[in-house]
Amino acid sequence: MSSGKLSHSVAILLKALSLGYQFGFEIMEVTGLPSGTVYPALRRLERDGLVSSQWEPDEEATKEQRPARRYYELTRVGKEAESTATKRYPLLSRLLPEKLVKSV
Amino acid sequence: MSRGVHEDEEMEGESGSGVSGSGVPASLDFLALRVLPLASRLVPAVRRADWAREWQAELWQLRHDGRRSRGVDFSSAMSLAYGLVADAAWLRLDWTRDSMRGSAAACLYTLTAYCLLCAAMELEVAGSWHSFWHVVGAHFFGSFLFVAVPAMVAAVGTYPLRPLRCDHAHIGAKKRLSARTRWNLFLAAKIALTLILGFLATLVATVPARMVVGKYADWVELLLASVLVTVGLRWALLNQEQRCQKCLRMMGQPTRVGPPSRNFLEWNGMELVCTEGHGLLHVPEMQGSWCWYDVWVELEPGWGGIFGS
Repeated sequence: MSSGKLSHSVAILLKALSLGYQFGFEIMEVTGLPSGTVYPALRRLERDGLVSSQWEPDEEATKEQRPARRYYELTRVGKEAESTATKRYPLLSRLLPEKLVKSV
Repeated sequence: MSRGVHEDEEMEGESGSGVSGSGVPASLDFLALRVLPLASRLVPAVRRADWAREWQAELWQLRHDGRRSRGVDFSSAMSLAYGLVADAAWLRLDWTRDSMRGSAAACLYTLTAYCLLCAAMELEVAGSWHSFWHVVGAHFFGSFLFVAVPAMVAAVGTYPLRPLRCDHAHIGAKKRLSARTRWNLFLAAKIALTLILGFLATLVATVPARMVVGKYADWVELLLASVLVTVGLRWALLNQEQRCQKCLRMMGQPTRVGPPSRNFLEWNGMELVCTEGHGLLHVPEMQGSWCWYDVWVELEPGWGGIFGS
């Protein structure tokens, strides 16, 4: 996916990931995008190599007494796309707050 | 890592009953216990367990966070259900697109779609089914047949002499039809559809000429039909050569092998690989007595993991 062809919602998603939001509901909550947009977009970004995902270690999830989550993060190409999107949509930085604490 | 949907549901039920209590909206239970298993059937089998596990974890998060779960009303639950199904459907669509890419079925579907499109355009011009069949019959037996047969002879007769066939019995091929039968059936279907498409495309393309110059447009039609049939058949034969003999997918990942300066010592040319890892196709750049034709090299199933995508 060319960074020049990023839609608004994908740009928001990349920004959210770059700010440290890592899993589906967290991203939905901070961006306000519906699940029908967020999940297919994450799959597409992962297929195109802009995002990678990995399962949280089972021990960590067990310690917090919940099922393990699938965490998403930007790849190198994704970071480049995100910085291009931020230059193109400067208001993105003001739209989404930086993630301060790790959510439980 | 990959647990089944039902196993996850059990885990969900056990942990959920202890933590969430009565504060969890019924719509979330409905999503986790009814919509999720149904939607998971849409997801391709290879990704189903992972997908279900991810959604279970996400729904768990929502159900066990009091602030979030209180905010879930009917409309947001419906939106979530839509997202769940949309996600599953996207994975199915993407998987189908990937598995169809370069396949024999995709080739036949595409040719059929073009035939139907041309037929629909001709039907629109003809105005009725009766006129349509009349035009088709008159042009097929009146002109196309006389052009198509010589064009077919020209296309096949001038084709470079190569063994256009499925070479031999294939390792692990345990399907209802043998690899060779499927190979020949596909070639026959492709040629038939190409000819039909050539005929219908000629009819559609000469409509403006028919309107302007009347019956003299038959000459344009004859010329166009002969070109389309020759080019179409050459394409069908060439396309067949570039397919895996086992799964009939288009071979890909072309790689140059050997320097041309060593042509007398070893072969040089292009090597193509089946995306499923069934085999390699050696296409010599220069023909020699030791490498006259394209050579199909079948790989043992163990190689599939290395060469397959």
